[in-house]
Amino acid sequence: MTPPSDPLPPTFDPRARAARRRARRALAWTLAIGLGLPGALFLGVLVLSPLSDAKVLHGLVGWVTLGRAHPESWSGGGQLLLRVVLLALLALVLVTFGAVISGMTVWWEMRVSSRMQSRVGYNRVGAAGFLQWVADAVKLLLKEDLVPADADALLFRAAPYFVLVGFALTFVALPFGESLVAAPLDVGLFYVLAVTALVVVGILLAGWSSNSKWSLFGGMRAGAQVISYEIPAGLAAMVPVLMAGTLSLQGIIRGQGPWPWQWFFFENPFALVAFVVFFTAQLAEGNRTPFDLPEAESELVAGYLSEYSSFRFAIYFLVEFGNLWVMSAVAVTLFFGGWQVPFVGPETFQAARGAGDLPGLGWWALEALSMAVFVLKTFVLMNLVIWVRWTLPRIRVDQMMSVCWKYLVPFAFACLVGTLFWEILLVEVPAAGPATGYLLTAGFLVTAFFFLRLTYRNLAAVGDRIDLSNW
Amino acid sequence: MERLVLRRMQGDGEEMILNFGPQHPSTHGVINFMVETDGEVIRRAVPDVGYLHRSIEKIGETVGYPGFMPFTDRVDYVAAMFANEGYALAVERLLKLEAPPRAQWLRAVSCELCRIASHLIAVGTMTMDLGAFTPMLHGVREREVVNDLIEALCGARLTYNYHRIGGVAFDLPEGWRDRTLRFLDHFDRFLTEFDRLISFNEVYVKRLAKVAVIPAPLAKDYGLSGPNLRGAGVDWDLRRDLPYGAYPHFRFQVPVGKGFVGTRGDAFDRYYVRCLEMAESSKIVRQALESLPEGEYLAKVPRRIKPEPGEAFARVESARGELAYYVVSDGTEKAWRVRARTGSFTAMGIVDAVSPGLMVADLVALIASLDVVAPEIDR
Amino acid sequence: MLTLREYAGNVGTTVRTFWHGMSVTLSYLIRRPITVQYPDRTPLPVRQMLPPRYRGFLEVDVAICTGCQACERACPIDCIKMVLEKDPQNPKQRLVTQFDIDEAKCMFCGLCVEPCPTGSIQHTQEFEAATRNLRNLTFRWASPSWPVYKVPKDASYYPRAPLGSILRPLLESRRWDAPGPQFLPPEPRPAAAPEPPAARPASSKPEPAP
Repeated sequence: MTPPSDPLPPTFDPRARAARRRARRALAWTLAIGLGLPGALFLGVLVLSPLSDAKVLHGLVGWVTLGRAHPESWSGGGQLLLRVVLLALLALVLVTFGAVISGMTVWWEMRVSSRMQSRVGYNRVGAAGFLQWVADAVKLLLKEDLVPADADALLFRAAPYFVLVGFALTFVALPFGESLVAAPLDVGLFYVLAVTALVVVGILLAGWSSNSKWSLFGGMRAGAQVISYEIPAGLAAMVPVLMAGTLSLQGIIRGQGPWPWQWFFFENPFALVAFVVFFTAQLAEGNRTPFDLPEAESELVAGYLSEYSSFRFAIYFLVEFGNLWVMSAVAVTLFFGGWQVPFVGPETFQAARGAGDLPGLGWWALEALSMAVFVLKTFVLMNLVIWVRWTLPRIRVDQMMSVCWKYLVPFAFACLVGTLFWEILLVEVPAAGPATGYLLTAGFLVTAFFFLRLTYRNLAAVGDRIDLSNW
Repeated sequence: MERLVLRRMQGDGEEMILNFGPQHPSTHGVINFMVETDGEVIRRAVPDVGYLHRSIEKIGETVGYPGFMPFTDRVDYVAAMFANEGYALAVERLLKLEAPPRAQWLRAVSCELCRIASHLIAVGTMTMDLGAFTPMLHGVREREVVNDLIEALCGARLTYNYHRIGGVAFDLPEGWRDRTLRFLDHFDRFLTEFDRLISFNEVYVKRLAKVAVIPAPLAKDYGLSGPNLRGAGVDWDLRRDLPYGAYPHFRFQVPVGKGFVGTRGDAFDRYYVRCLEMAESSKIVRQALESLPEGEYLAKVPRRIKPEPGEAFARVESARGELAYYVVSDGTEKAWRVRARTGSFTAMGIVDAVSPGLMVADLVALIASLDVVAPEIDR
Repeated sequence: MLTLREYAGNVGTTVRTFWHGMSVTLSYLIRRPITVQYPDRTPLPVRQMLPPRYRGFLEVDVAICTGCQACERACPIDCIKMVLEKDPQNPKQRLVTQFDIDEAKCMFCGLCVEPCPTGSIQHTQEFEAATRNLRNLTFRWASPSWPVYKVPKDASYYPRAPLGSILRPLLESRRWDAPGPQFLPPEPRPAAAPEPPAARPASSKPEPAP
């Protein structure tokens, strides 16, 4: 065996220097895109969404033009035009936000899942493989766009857009922060549940129009699944509505408090069970394992997506991973207190707003903070979805239906009735709410402790060690 | 071929005829199934094999007896040691010689390690077909260590060519025994973790319990062997009942399906029998390494192997069932006929018998639980 | 129909098995992945991390090859081709004028290594020898020709070069995208004149290259 040649000292070896330069450049690009792109989009959301309030909008226009323009004195048509421009800009920012978030979700999911599977995952394109989703998106765009010869041309081309619209429309009502809602609807939750059902139309169209038996299988399964699981999702979502007394998402969040024991999840034992039901139903609606039968990779290769390529496939892919975010965001809104920041109550927001049309700088800072809290909670819940996906196997079609109708729906009904009684109890004994909150939070912490201890013991049981190397 | 197969299916126009394969992630190789379904329920599923035929048996007639050994690796490349051993035993019977004891022990060690590797793939791909991607990779992680051990032993990770006519090719390298024993210590604990992760997971159990039941009489009628037969409840293991090599000297249990979570003979039984067999294999390797006799590892075999005209039949308990070789010699250096009887080929027959009434997802579970690999079917 | 006990049991089993399964998955998150990040993030080049018995590319130490052709006879797929001739200057000496090993055909079984009496042909740990042209994978160990090795009467060992020391420089000296070897030009066409192009019916097939 030839002995290895002596390696050159690192500073003198030109290949090592070049490699280090490449790594630095990759890191720079990664940070630029990884922080810059979502930063810009979050900033866009932060700045543009309070402007749906006319007074704030007029105040901003006045400030930007240094007091020369007075939009409140414009004609109705002019004000309408201003508003339309703003809304168009906001819509663009939100859809881009959805697309970019789903790309970054892909990256995060692949990194986390690869370590769970004892392999390394994306780590070449960009620092820590962050730019892989950009490369994948570009690759998908450059692929050949196939439309099968016998496929129903119009439906085949239209189906991805149903799915995309169903996904994008949810961002309108998501409360990113205290006043950061594109459209503060009074029936926000109802709107979100209704609009996510548009996805099933797209899936059924895709399965049918592909003119392939495998796609048809996937489409039919998906249709049955999504429509069935709407019921327990809706029922379980009624529990926070009952507790908050309003369908508006902002109202539900304002009905909770910033601390864990003030969240609906911990405040009401029935809400705890309702969250489990809601979470399971949302997994089914998002076609995530254990409910990913419509695109069961090992059975149907890609199910209803089999015949799609290039950009149309990219849209499905985007929507699937963006749905991770949306379902986590909705669950966070309903059960985990949304954007509520600890130590900051509504009066703090009011005080920071100040008089005058355009709110002060402190108010913007608090809004940014509330958005950060929301994003953090959504991220944690997203990790739970990823974790469940890569642990559990897939269930069969008939078992999926039986889970829905025999387990989830009765539990959801039970939670609903239980919450009714709970509300009555709260009227009688107001202290029951915070008391249960403390109790359940403590119980959760104890359970988490035992779980983490078991996880640590798994390592010792097999003889491995904690080792975070090999990225 | 397809028209022949399609004519056998009677349809009344309502059923769909689906081609399950040959390019499919879960048919364990290049196998095609013509499936006639009524919605999700299967009426008939007929296997259509031959996509991986490589004329290995014909090659046996053109290369000499020692030259055929690498080709036996390719008969079942997931568990290649068994094919090596079966052929070596058959030719040794033709030559009327026996491998020395140390070679027999080394054969047992390498075969049982290979059985562990093969069952890891079998069990791992089964979980992957059913949607859980992680256990497969955990299994492959362990298999990597087995591959490293065998690579240190014979130089290759997949197509071993380790056994020779008259013994084995190499002796144990330095430190191999300790490495293997360390690995086995880790592996026994890994099996418990694997069970906790997936074997008794409620979703997994519900997918496999009472699904694709193969009762014992049907299994015997169709000639199943190995874990498929034992999963059906028949207590038959060639290592214990028709022993060969070093196996009479080892003490091990033979796991038999008994309806662990469902009925006897369902897919879960066949899966769990494999999990238990891995633990038994690890026991055998330990016993073999501890009682390894000294001596030579290759008998004195003539340079040119020219057996007398005759025939020999040797069977080994492979990871997939009974792997048997029937070698006919005509007195020259090249064999007259080499025939490999593999467990996966006979397992194809049962798919047609058991599949009516299954759902498509259950067909995947059936094929995965039978642990068929296409190279064994088509050779 | 399920009894209440079975129903509750189902829910309980689900929770319990999910609890265990998810904890195992989470524990793998903090273990070291088994991936070897080939080719650039390994501590040593991978060929130096392989075991000594690894069956990589074949290497022939021509200094101790006796020309017995045992490897050629042992190879089951005939990827070794040897031609021995008598030296024109010295009729008692045999020369190996051709010793080609087609590594593209080789299945790395090791059957050629065993019968070699001096250990001249061996498997090395090289595996990184991919080339653009398939013909470049035929290693010609006998250009130029060399005389066969005569084993000394009292030899106690055979002076073989260190394993891999011949093959490594060979692999490093050639380029992966080198063009393939040029063979003899094809035979000239027979004397009969080809058909005049005008008489040929218009077809879209291109003329075969001469």
